Amino acid sequence: MEVVTNKNDAERKIASQSNHSPWALARKKFIRNKLAMVSLSFLMLLSLLSILAPYILNVDIARVDFLNINLPPSSEHWFGTDSNGRDVFARTLYGGRVSLLIGLASTLCVTLIGTIIGAIAGYVGGKIDQFLMRLTDFVLTFPFTVFVVVLNTILIGKVSGVWTLIMVISLLSWGGTARIVRSKILAEKENEYILAAISVGCSPFKVIAKHLLPNVASTIIVQASLLMAVMIVVESSLSFIGFGVPADTPSWGNMLSEARNSDVLQNKPWIWVPPCLAITFTILSINFVGEGLKDAFNPKSNR
Amino acid sequence: MSERDVSALLEVKDLETSFLINGKYYNAVDGVSLRVNRKQIVGIVGESGCGKSVMSLSIMNLLPKNISRIRRGEIVFEGKRIDHLGEEELNRIRGKEMAMIFQEPMTSLNPVFTIGSQIAEVFFTHTNLSKKEARQRSIELLRSVGIARPESVVNEYPHQLSGGMRQRVMIAMAIACRPKLLIADEPTTALDVTVQAQILELLKDIQATNEMAVMLITHDLGVVAEMCDEVIVMYAGKIVERADVHSLFYHPKHPYTKLLMESIPRMDREVETLSSIRGIVPSLAQMPRSGCRFAERCPKAMPECKIVTPKLTEHSPGHEVACLLYEESVPVHEVMK
Repeated sequence: MEVVTNKNDAERKIASQSNHSPWALARKKFIRNKLAMVSLSFLMLLSLLSILAPYILNVDIARVDFLNINLPPSSEHWFGTDSNGRDVFARTLYGGRVSLLIGLASTLCVTLIGTIIGAIAGYVGGKIDQFLMRLTDFVLTFPFTVFVVVLNTILIGKVSGVWTLIMVISLLSWGGTARIVRSKILAEKENEYILAAISVGCSPFKVIAKHLLPNVASTIIVQASLLMAVMIVVESSLSFIGFGVPADTPSWGNMLSEARNSDVLQNKPWIWVPPCLAITFTILSINFVGEGLKDAFNPKSNR
Repeated sequence: MSERDVSALLEVKDLETSFLINGKYYNAVDGVSLRVNRKQIVGIVGESGCGKSVMSLSIMNLLPKNISRIRRGEIVFEGKRIDHLGEEELNRIRGKEMAMIFQEPMTSLNPVFTIGSQIAEVFFTHTNLSKKEARQRSIELLRSVGIARPESVVNEYPHQLSGGMRQRVMIAMAIACRPKLLIADEPTTALDVTVQAQILELLKDIQATNEMAVMLITHDLGVVAEMCDEVIVMYAGKIVERADVHSLFYHPKHPYTKLLMESIPRMDREVETLSSIRGIVPSLAQMPRSGCRFAERCPKAMPECKIVTPKLTEHSPGHEVACLLYEESVPVHEVMK
């Protein structure tokens, strides 16, 4: 008898948890969204290929081969070779490693900084809020490109190139996230459950971390997913103009910079089309996933 | 410490809580003194906007610090002043020694956590129960507040429960650590009448079994009559009358109290229209500087009511009133003139 009730309880527990937690509901909705799921699969495949590139390809991507420059696609070089005789297919996959890493890492940093600053400003309010928001305005009004170029030049050589760029981008991009998180926290903290949490003795840290952040998490996640697309574009454009990732590291942006040569742009599309498509599809997919998440977290949408 | 009355659990002395409006502070609670004894149920009644909630939030120190402050007065809980304590010390008292239930059960539970985890949180904050024990205690608590299937409700989310059930959960959270004082800020306002009655019954039961004091804030005199030992009537941030429940209902003194009584709908009398009190509570910025604050709306107002501020004084044993109709309330120095 005892066993039976326990089992029933356990079953009911699982059923009620998987059916009704806000996260479970969102997950269900997300899985039903075909476009988002296709995009997510594409992103996962691309990431997997990029991560595994060194293991599946047997090519030295840094080796310059002057005997085989600017070759069109062939069975030996699927996407042809670039003006230094390097295999474009291999470089596209390797470039994905760098571009996706920068996108992901700077998104994480930006979200972390933005969330902390936004949450503190929104919850504490008063002078601290004023100070943090002025700081945010300051960061937001900074001339981004100029500052990235300067910082990058100062820091280069001290930290590995890719991480320098991640740091620089993160330090300059958290403003938007901080503002969004702050406004969400401001709205959310008016709810009585926050008062209730304080009235049972929760410390401010606990109120923010345990009660406020989970309730604004959906916004943060959506914001972060869309931010990642922006970060990949930022990396590409900076590398394209030559101030991003060091030239010897392949990234999609770096590969694109070859197209600055008009001969390459007009006559050798195999050199710049692959990274270009990689960027386009990645960003599209990220945006679709972001939109999917937005819908999934929105209790009013029934899509 | 020794001269303090041991029976007093909470004493509020001359409390003034003010809000910042356009750069100036206005008193929302103006010189309120009251006292809650152990195991006593004290009702606080008054219209919307008369400072009941602000007073209770001041006691719990839950008011937003940047726009409000306690200007004057003392709040003494178990012989210890708590109005100037830091957050950390306050958090040791809040939830453990005194707890609060709020008006809106719909928003007073965090929508992203299960009921069980929210109750368990109280235990984690104040005791060192293990996860399993906390869960067990949560189930017991839910059962004690009359929730039918506590084993499954602990795993449910707030949106799966009805308003009445959520209010029961709130009560369970509030009494989790057996506080000595429970402040209930209009606990039944958002609920329908049948559920109201159940919740009040539950509060009364819990009060009796846990031997705690309850400060019940309401604008429903029916609730007061049913629940309270002592009643405090507030108007515009001041106490206008205080009495035990019996003498307040049978011999109301202050015109405001009388009018409140008359505006209760009655089943036993046929009336054309329900009587109401004309006008509204003056806003903080428009509060008269001197005189009785109710004078504007009072049918029995005399010319001096707008000049002389009545004092809350004992009229008959245990019955205090602040109205110039009763000569005890006329401040001494005014009479001398």
